[in-house]
Amino acid sequence: MDDEESLHRFGTPLPPLEKDVVPAKKPLAIEDQIVKDENGKRRFHGAFTGGFSAGFWNTVGSLEGWTPQTFKSSRAEKATPRAQQRPEDFMDKEDLGEFGIAPQGIRTREEFAKESEEEQRTGQRKRKLMQPEQVGPIPGVPVLEHLLRPVRDKVAVRILKSMGWKPGQGVGPRQTRKEKRLASARNKREQYLLDHYGAEGLPSLDQLQNAAVEEGNDDDDDEDDEEITFAPNDYEPIFYTPKENRFGMSYSGLSRDPILSKSSSSHPAAPMQHINLFGQLETQPKQKQLSIRGQAFGVGAFEEEDDDIYARDDLTRYDFSLADKKPKQKKIQHVQQRHVIDGFSEDKSEAALHKPYAIDLPRDFKPRNWLQRRSRFEPMDSERTKKLEARNEYKKTGLGRHDLNPDQRAQLLGEQKSQKEEQQQQPQPPSRNPFKDRGKLLELINAKSEGFTKGGLITEEELPKAETAATAMAKQVKESNATIQEKAVLKTKDLASATPSGGFKPFLADEAKQERYDKFLDAQLKTDAEITEFLANMQPVTLSLWDREMEKKEFIQAAKIYRPLNGLMYDRFVSEATVQAEQAKEQQKPPEERKVVMERTKTMWKPASLLCKRYNIAEPFGGSMLEPPKELKGKPKISIFDYLETSINSKADFQTPTIRPKHMEKPKPAVASSFALAPLAPPAAVAPEPEKEKPAQRKEEEPIVKASFVPRTPLEHAVDESREKPISEKKDLFRSIFEDSDDEEKVAVPPPQIATLSTPQEKLAAINEALGLPSTSAASAATLNVLRNNSPPRGIFAALFKPIEEAAAPAKFAPIEGNKLKIAYKSREERLRNDKELAMAQVPAEDIYGPKLPGKGPPPRTQETDHAEVDLEAKLQHLWQKHAPKKRSADKWVEKKTLSSDDSDSDSSSDTSSSCSASSPRKAKRSRVSKSKKSSHRSSSSKKSKKSKQKSKKKSKKSSDRSKPKAKKKKSKH
Amino acid sequence: MPVFANYHCKTTIDCQQGAVRAVRYNVDGSYCMSCGSDKKIKLWNPATGLLLKTYGGHADEVTDVAGSCDSSYIVSSSLDKSIIYWDVSTGTPVRRLRSHAGGVRCVCFNEDSSITISGGRDNAVMCWDIRTRRLDPVQVMKDARDCITTVLTNENKIYAASLDGCIRHYDIRVGEMTCDKIGEPVTYLAKTQDEQCLVAGCQDSVVRLIDCETGGLLSEYKGHRADDYHIECGILANDAHIVAGSSAGDAYIWDLLEGKVLQRIRISDNGGVVHSLATHPRRSEELLFARRRDMYVFTTDLQIEEEQL
Repeated sequence: MDDEESLHRFGTPLPPLEKDVVPAKKPLAIEDQIVKDENGKRRFHGAFTGGFSAGFWNTVGSLEGWTPQTFKSSRAEKATPRAQQRPEDFMDKEDLGEFGIAPQGIRTREEFAKESEEEQRTGQRKRKLMQPEQVGPIPGVPVLEHLLRPVRDKVAVRILKSMGWKPGQGVGPRQTRKEKRLASARNKREQYLLDHYGAEGLPSLDQLQNAAVEEGNDDDDDEDDEEITFAPNDYEPIFYTPKENRFGMSYSGLSRDPILSKSSSSHPAAPMQHINLFGQLETQPKQKQLSIRGQAFGVGAFEEEDDDIYARDDLTRYDFSLADKKPKQKKIQHVQQRHVIDGFSEDKSEAALHKPYAIDLPRDFKPRNWLQRRSRFEPMDSERTKKLEARNEYKKTGLGRHDLNPDQRAQLLGEQKSQKEEQQQQPQPPSRNPFKDRGKLLELINAKSEGFTKGGLITEEELPKAETAATAMAKQVKESNATIQEKAVLKTKDLASATPSGGFKPFLADEAKQERYDKFLDAQLKTDAEITEFLANMQPVTLSLWDREMEKKEFIQAAKIYRPLNGLMYDRFVSEATVQAEQAKEQQKPPEERKVVMERTKTMWKPASLLCKRYNIAEPFGGSMLEPPKELKGKPKISIFDYLETSINSKADFQTPTIRPKHMEKPKPAVASSFALAPLAPPAAVAPEPEKEKPAQRKEEEPIVKASFVPRTPLEHAVDESREKPISEKKDLFRSIFEDSDDEEKVAVPPPQIATLSTPQEKLAAINEALGLPSTSAASAATLNVLRNNSPPRGIFAALFKPIEEAAAPAKFAPIEGNKLKIAYKSREERLRNDKELAMAQVPAEDIYGPKLPGKGPPPRTQETDHAEVDLEAKLQHLWQKHAPKKRSADKWVEKKTLSSDDSDSDSSSDTSSSCSASSPRKAKRSRVSKSKKSSHRSSSSKKSKKSKQKSKKKSKKSSDRSKPKAKKKKSKH
Repeated sequence: MPVFANYHCKTTIDCQQGAVRAVRYNVDGSYCMSCGSDKKIKLWNPATGLLLKTYGGHADEVTDVAGSCDSSYIVSSSLDKSIIYWDVSTGTPVRRLRSHAGGVRCVCFNEDSSITISGGRDNAVMCWDIRTRRLDPVQVMKDARDCITTVLTNENKIYAASLDGCIRHYDIRVGEMTCDKIGEPVTYLAKTQDEQCLVAGCQDSVVRLIDCETGGLLSEYKGHRADDYHIECGILANDAHIVAGSSAGDAYIWDLLEGKVLQRIRISDNGGVVHSLATHPRRSEELLFARRRDMYVFTTDLQIEEEQL
């Protein structure tokens, strides 16, 4: 074993293990020592697991943890009003144990103990027999109550008792008789101070000493008896709280404690404020007695309390200076050092020895016990009365307002006394009466009340005395009143002197005028004529007629404004008596017998079918009654728009005359007139109801556009004809359409023959009137097409309506009759333009679907149409008579053309609103223009238009392809 | 002409449900119901003053109640804007009907109790089909311009009195609404047994008798004071006397034809508005009054009194 020798050994070797011996049980490590409660629950944990155990394994309540409470109540099973939750409901079992925070055991009731305590303290038993007897079989005081008397003395009492104290005695060393006497005197004084605490002035010491002496006199003889000692008298010592701050009296600053922590207020000096979770429980002394106190998680008696981890830190806990700031302890002489009981040591703290601060009292401060109630009948301090008097002085003088009696006021105001009053005043004897008269008293009261002096009863006995004082006061007041009155008179004198007639002088600047005014007032004229006459006599000749008139007006106005004051006042005020009388009269009048007039109105009402069924009644009219208009549910009944200006909302004010088919009758005669003055359809054969008309109109139109259609009526001829018109002719039509809307001046070309022009218009209007149509005069705003585009023509339109030289160019080719080829030689631009024109022009009005747009009232009269119109007018009348019975309406629904299958002419490329709106007038123009042309012109122009139509076909075909299906659909519907 | 005998108080029932808003007989007058301001309806035996059942479930004061023709259901209206259809025996609400936009003032059954008609402060009269589970009204009549105070119905008509001073007759058979304008707010409406006339209690302290056929005013009965209260009126089963409450703690009985006061029933000496009353549907000897918290059963029978003595 050389190995062993070469090895170094450190420490002591373990005792060799013996095989037989079972090793002793290892002692439990500290960390394994677990405190458990009776349920086997672990009581304390490590810091990281909460430190302590609570509830059920650190949960609350149960295995599942906290279970929310449920509230269930049904009609069948009403929830019983549960008992209020008590704090105990939330406690662990341990808390309710002996050492818990809410120990529960059998204890004496508080009153029970208190009674005996009281008895012991006072040393005398209350006379129980005098108290109402308790109900029981045995009369008298219950025997058990006497026997079973709980012993419940406080520790202090027990200590005192052990020291020889008996209830009823005072505490302290025994005293000789003299000492005792002095002590009792002192006690009395203190008692007195306590009673009169805060009263004015401290009682003089003499009084007290006197009292002491008086008492002392009784037992003078035993004074020298030094050996006999007595127990000191028991008295309630007064504890004054020393003032430790320099705040005002009874002021305490805002507490720095959190508001909610009530416990902190009871311990104001605690540097660290503990958030007391149980504070609320402790401090509800009045509501319900809770026996929960202390911290929930107790610390053993032998353990030092942990740092309060829930404390709030405070800066006062920190040291900010190096120096030791602790004030040096002063040696204090303790008087009663020798009387310290064994086991107790004297309190060395100097809390009681704060330096008292002197308070600067206000100079005129008078202490007063505000708690003491003072009768208001007690005499007031002289100073206070003085002050009050001074304050109320103004009331006495009253700014002179209340000093005047009604008569004086009336005088001032210039009122006239009523006769009645005067009569009443006359019999009254002058108030100067002999002494001791009844009147004297009255006068006295008068005098008193006049001055509003301080109250007091005036009795017959007091009269002489009171009279002197009161009359003196009255005199004084009267004097002051007189001066004030004088002042007032002085002030108002100017006014009064200025108005001898009692009124104001509005025209003082002009004396003569004022004079006239005065006279005018005196005259008191009523009628206008009188006034003018009266004034005319006075007014100087120099005054112009206008001036005179003005003056008259002024005077009348002034007389109205500057009425005499008394009259003004008279108007404004009514005596209370009259008001009351009126009210009484009204009340007396029986409530007017309202004649009840029964009114009966009957309206249709549709009962619900189910209602009828339930009532077992057949539905009225077999249920075919009209359903009342259903109200929209979501629609609010009151809309704010109801209150908006009604002028905007009312239909009548809505002046856009746009889509009114009634105005459409105009184009019709125009179309017809284009047909070389042939017999025409009635111009304004519009049936009153446009809705009814529409389908009829449609029917009427249909034959026109049908391919197999043979024109029958002259109107149809005209329409057919106008379709064949050459573009050159249509151009004029366009111009007339657009120009007259652009500027009205051009429209208003001075007509050469006013008479001839005006007649057709009037006639037309008359016809319209006869048909119940709105008049279509050019002036009416309603007839102006508001929707029409007023902007200068653009694009193709611009090309169309170029100034004269441009307009002249197309005129070159226009007159060429029957020659189609010539057009082909035109320049390309021109051709293009022509094509465009065609595209525009070739849209027959019939191609547009929808209600006809209103044209511009009467077609503007141009010179060239004037002649025609005269003729036309006659024709119209003729036609009207002829066609009216047939109810041919001029208002028409123009339908999409159904003539050709390809719909080539439909102007899909130019389907803008402007073109639409313009379509109908255009038609009208076209027809009118063409009408002026010769009829011989017709055949060639129709050919031309046919050709141009074909041209435009190709162009528009592509673009119209898209719209075709739609059009076809529509067609199929018809 | 029936001879009038004075009424005297037989029973006074302290309903213990706050102010009693209405008292009603059931269809045959063997039971009565009282509506309280404590949101409950109580079913009583008027003869003995025995409380039979209490129906609670409303959320506001109960304004009116009506019993069905077989006395197995009750319908009640409340200011909580709802109408509750109760099962009498179990005391549970069968249906709660809500469609009124305001408090419901009055309610009634039709003859076979298949339709309930209600009128409310939302000026609407609503007809409810209670046979089905339909929760919205069968029909709503919104013709009135003010609160509906009473709804009545007979075989073919619905009458609705409103504070706008009109009585509207909805004739189901004819499909016509007739509006009789009185001009004074009508606080209550009753119809005679022969259904020829209506008795309308008006706000101007006049009870008016109105002819159903022509809408004419047949008679006026005055003497009581309505003040601002919704005083109810009624006609006794013999169609000979008219009764109305008053605001001064009394009730008046008039002769229908002559219009003179036959009896001024002093219900209480210390005031209290007698605002609700009910006439026995069969016997003209019995009357119910409601004043403050009490219900009073009045009768002309002398025997009972003797028995009590």
